[in-house]
Amino acid sequence: MRALVIDDSRAMRRIVGTILTDFGYEVRQAGHGREALDVLESGSAEGWVPDLCCIDWNMPVMDGLQFVFAVRANPAYRQVTLMMVTTESETGQIVKALAAGAHEYLIKPFTPDALRDKLALLGLLPEGAPA
Amino acid sequence: MTTAESTQPITALLDAETVLGIADQVWPSLVGDGEVFVPVPAPPPAETVSAWVDITGPWTGSVVLTCAPATAEALTASVLMTRPPVVVDDEDVEDALGELANVLGGNIKSVLPGESRLGLPKIGSAPSQGRLDDVCRVAGQWRGQFLTITVQGAADAPHAERNEVPL
Repeated sequence: MRALVIDDSRAMRRIVGTILTDFGYEVRQAGHGREALDVLESGSAEGWVPDLCCIDWNMPVMDGLQFVFAVRANPAYRQVTLMMVTTESETGQIVKALAAGAHEYLIKPFTPDALRDKLALLGLLPEGAPA
Repeated sequence: MTTAESTQPITALLDAETVLGIADQVWPSLVGDGEVFVPVPAPPPAETVSAWVDITGPWTGSVVLTCAPATAEALTASVLMTRPPVVVDDEDVEDALGELANVLGGNIKSVLPGESRLGLPKIGSAPSQGRLDDVCRVAGQWRGQFLTITVQGAADAPHAERNEVPL
């Protein structure tokens, strides 16, 4: 399975990327929504479309919510599962993200087990992922 | 939201226990398994560095993480899960310390009343504080080194006078 981790923090990209790699994902990264759209576009050209995008909310250039709107507006990415991974934990923010087209929501800080549970719920936990 | 609610100092909205509870969740998740922020004050170092995020809303101010530069480097190495020999550069420190402030700030924002916005992390000398009663500080240590988490009102934040509580 393939994942795109979008966060302006390199530390957070590394943390999320390491967990997903341990689960068996092939991971690419982007530092904000605009860069992530570029990764999706260039990836599509070579046949690389992610199964999952993990998306921070507060980022420069293009934030996570704008990215969700942009992806949902493009039929080519209809199959991509979008999961917000953010400190924005108020109910109103969660509702806003889900209404925009995000499928799941994970609040920072989180544990690898919490991410595993979300992936299992989404049917995106690769077979053979370590317990 | 009433005017009085929108101008309350942070001490009326948040206590040190809540900040500590948030730090207790953030440290093991972000800094590493078994890592804890210990709420026992340590002697302040000669030089400090701060990372913070601004919160704008009914309450406006900043969540500031302050420690010695060497502690910031050690925190960064821990967050980045680097192994010895540890080499972290200024950009790494800015990124990791900023993300710690971001996660602390986001969770603190979520317990404040009303809808607020969280800014992007900044690093440097801590921003100026507002009124003395608009500060909630948790002085503590990590691995025995000085580290504080301060939730402080903006220097220009509006405040209700104490006798403006609505009837």
